[in-house]
Amino acid sequence: MSPVDPGPPAQQAPPPGAERAGTQRAGASLGRDAWRRLCRDPVAVVGAVLVLVFVAVALLAPVLAPYGPTDTPGKDVVTPTNVPGPSSEYWLGLDNLGRDELSRILHGARQSLVVGVVSLLFGALTGSAIGLVAGSFGGWVDNLVMRLMDVMLAVPGLLFAIGLAALLGHSLTSVMIAVGTVNVPVFARLLRGSMLTQRSADYAMAITSLGVRRRALIWHHVLPNSLSPVIVQGTLTLATAIIDAAGLAFLGLSGTDPAVPEWGRMLAETQRFLSSAPHLAIFPGLAIVLAALGFTLLGESLREALDPTYRR
Amino acid sequence: MPQADPGPPDAHDGGAEPLLRVRDLTVAFTQRHRPDLVAVDRLDLDVPAGSTVGLVGESGSGKSVTSLAVMGLLPRRGVRTGGSVRFAGRELLGLPPADLRAVRGKDIAMVFQDPMTCLNPVLSIGVQVTEVLRRHQDLPRGQARDRAAHLLGRVGIPDPARRLGEYPHQLSGGMRQRALIAIALACRPRLLIADEPTTALDVTIQAQILALLRELVSDTGTALLLITHDLGIVAGTCDTVHVMYAGRIVESAPREPLFADPAHPYTAGLLSSVPRLDAPRGKRLVPVPGSPTDVLPWAGACAFAPRCPRTDSPCTDRAPHELAEGPRTLRCHRPLSAFPPEPPATAPAPAPEGHGTGRGGIV
Amino acid sequence: MSRLLQVRDLRVHFPIVRGILRDRVVGHVRAVDGVDLDLDRGTTYGLVGESGCGKSTLGRAVLRLVEPTGGTVEFNGQDLATVDRHELRRTRRRMQMVFQDPMASLDPRQSVRSALVEPLRTHDIPAGPGGWDRRVRELLDVVGLPAGAARRYPHEFSGGQRQRIGIARAIALQPDLVIADEPVSSLDVSVQAQVINLLQDLQSALGLTYLVIAHDLAVVRHVSDLIGVMYLGTLVEQAPADHLYQAPLHPYTLSLMSAIPIPDPAVEATRERILLTGDLPSPADPPPGCRFHTRCPLRRDTRCHDEVPALREILPGHHVACHWARAPQRNAPDGPGDALPVAGAPSQV
Repeated sequence: MSPVDPGPPAQQAPPPGAERAGTQRAGASLGRDAWRRLCRDPVAVVGAVLVLVFVAVALLAPVLAPYGPTDTPGKDVVTPTNVPGPSSEYWLGLDNLGRDELSRILHGARQSLVVGVVSLLFGALTGSAIGLVAGSFGGWVDNLVMRLMDVMLAVPGLLFAIGLAALLGHSLTSVMIAVGTVNVPVFARLLRGSMLTQRSADYAMAITSLGVRRRALIWHHVLPNSLSPVIVQGTLTLATAIIDAAGLAFLGLSGTDPAVPEWGRMLAETQRFLSSAPHLAIFPGLAIVLAALGFTLLGESLREALDPTYRR
Repeated sequence: MPQADPGPPDAHDGGAEPLLRVRDLTVAFTQRHRPDLVAVDRLDLDVPAGSTVGLVGESGSGKSVTSLAVMGLLPRRGVRTGGSVRFAGRELLGLPPADLRAVRGKDIAMVFQDPMTCLNPVLSIGVQVTEVLRRHQDLPRGQARDRAAHLLGRVGIPDPARRLGEYPHQLSGGMRQRALIAIALACRPRLLIADEPTTALDVTIQAQILALLRELVSDTGTALLLITHDLGIVAGTCDTVHVMYAGRIVESAPREPLFADPAHPYTAGLLSSVPRLDAPRGKRLVPVPGSPTDVLPWAGACAFAPRCPRTDSPCTDRAPHELAEGPRTLRCHRPLSAFPPEPPATAPAPAPEGHGTGRGGIV
Repeated sequence: MSRLLQVRDLRVHFPIVRGILRDRVVGHVRAVDGVDLDLDRGTTYGLVGESGCGKSTLGRAVLRLVEPTGGTVEFNGQDLATVDRHELRRTRRRMQMVFQDPMASLDPRQSVRSALVEPLRTHDIPAGPGGWDRRVRELLDVVGLPAGAARRYPHEFSGGQRQRIGIARAIALQPDLVIADEPVSSLDVSVQAQVINLLQDLQSALGLTYLVIAHDLAVVRHVSDLIGVMYLGTLVEQAPADHLYQAPLHPYTLSLMSAIPIPDPAVEATRERILLTGDLPSPADPPPGCRFHTRCPLRRDTRCHDEVPALREILPGHHVACHWARAPQRNAPDGPGDALPVAGAPSQV
């Protein structure tokens, strides 16, 4: 093609040393840009540290914990009226059966992580699939699906989860399904809304005018641009999933296998010791809070990092 | 009164101080992990009482930030403001918020670009107008409503008494802007700052609003500072025009000389790059190359140098001092028309920011 | 054939829907309400009007990005309304659009290279020797961007540069027709001229035909051969660019022209302004008869309120939709043609 002359300096990048708002190194995609911003955000760093500790503990519990989950090293020391708190030998104290609290907390992390992640994945993937269908097709499909989601959302989440778990029987699996199901409409609505916004954006029209097929438009353009809110919601949901799962376990819905410590159940089982041995409730509670906090902080910072309008 | 004759307390101010006197105004936004973004860089500006002054600039020139700084509307955190803004002899920068609030709306009023976002969508127009009246003039409600209706009629809103009860979304864009003007002029301010008041409006509505502004300003004797990117608008409305680039004023002149004989290459570039309705067709436009973000910092050079067709060695070495000749000022090493040239050898070593020692004359 | 685009009686009506479960149609927004338009190869048609006149909708309807409600659009002799989806996709190669807001019309997650290659890949155009990189480099060169721009993302560029990317993408397929919807209005003043010049250079280099849609009459006049003025969904005047300025015949055109600021104090001080009264009527409920009569400074008591004026050819090539428009004559005092001075015009032809 014959070159045309639009005016000289427009061809060059701005001269070095030129002040330019939002300058990044060449090729900084939004993803890379978001990563860089995350790394500099103290809130994100704190959240990431908490999350990493949580995951590390969950994975490495057998190695880190001084005792197994069912070991009772302090069996002889413990009496119904004397449940020792933190000491130099047992860092977080003993529980009423003589088990090392620290080890139980560490082993319990694994449970919480599994429940949180699995229920999140279940909810997020199912919900996103539904949202994708609604967002891609629109029309009566969208209408129908969204009304179903509205119905689901009308029921308070925890209540719904409790009902479902009770229906499915007392087991960990039923807790995971219940917590996951509660999150399905949230993700469905989120992804569908995000997609509708992207589909009506100018670039969707521009790319359609190029002759790109609708399927390619949705898959390569609309969907990737719609994912940011879903990712953020995912991290936040992980936090609430952990709490919800603990709640259901507290209520006794997750089965009562004593071999597997679970933070929520630990809270339930130690209610009667609240005045005499508060450490038995404090530490599991604190563990739940910190794990959820880590994901929440991370999610909030992700939201800011992924928001293109924050780029300045 | 010399229009753009700046200078700290001195003999150069022939006669009374202008109504609005801005000296050395600097506004810098602090950024995380990056050097400060200097939006306004030691700006000098005068608005004499009863005059209309135009401030022309593109995006990034700092014109809107200037108006916000004058009104004290910049956020407190993350912003560094320096210099002096004197209104009717009184320093505004650094005034405690309560004192500022007493000035705003009463003595200085502002009209913004987008009337939809500037009007409260949940309050009726009547309430928004009377709010200002009651705040500053302490009128009883009935009187305030009457005056509000009178004001709406004055700005050309038909059936004003009925409109008092209407909400912003019920009015068209032009009507909303008129309502904003009514609110601004409610307490008969001495200075009206209009920041891109017609940019969001259709051109036929724009003509109506500009005619209204001209009429109101001449009727009430209010001074008008009109901020815009459109040279056509200032040609029809403003007595004096200041052209702003990258945070500083690069040229100012009364209306006729500026358009007839621009001295700064940027001004000339703006004029030659806009297609004119009354010029013969087919003449190729002469654009200003580059974009408004291609700037060099004023501290060590002329900010316009990367885009200037007349750039030469002084332009990238040091900032041009401000020169004045009569009512015109210019900040350029290599102006287009014969402006008093800067004597090279005798000039004292320029201060690091390039700002000369004397003003109102050759350094 | 020399007539590239022929639009006849194009209508685009958007239904206004209410309802909770099933949408009920309660009215129509008549965005485009019967427009005829002819575009010859190699020329530029400028469509000008203010907000709500339907010009953007018309541009999109021509490309079938918005489905027309009625009328025909013939492109290269082929009626676009009758083609099926696959044929439409193939035809899209030949007609492209440049959008107003380049930031919004580029996928923010797509690199420049990917954005330029996508249309080529979609239409199975082979990369040729040198591969995609060579093609991308050529395109960037044509619009005046450096080769290094290819691996960058839209948010790394200035507004003017982004618009160049949008233009590069539009011409990647070497279309016959390019519709430019407000191509410069979101750009800084000093940058607008660059893009205008670029568009004109591309037209002569590549033999493009343009439909330029804008609200700025000065810009439109500068680039167009033929200008159409739209108001509330219909064309009120159509004339060659020179004629329109020298002898505007429709009252709306007159007021539009008198409203445009001219950067010349002497002209501004002496020009006559024709100010319109009232607000723009709603396109869902246009006034009866002549749509403009509610705001027209030259409205008369008969005909304006009842009869819809047809687009009549008053002068050769100059069409006006006004009952009272007359060809300007030295002596006859009748009609808007010479009842009002042409705002700011140099001495008449």
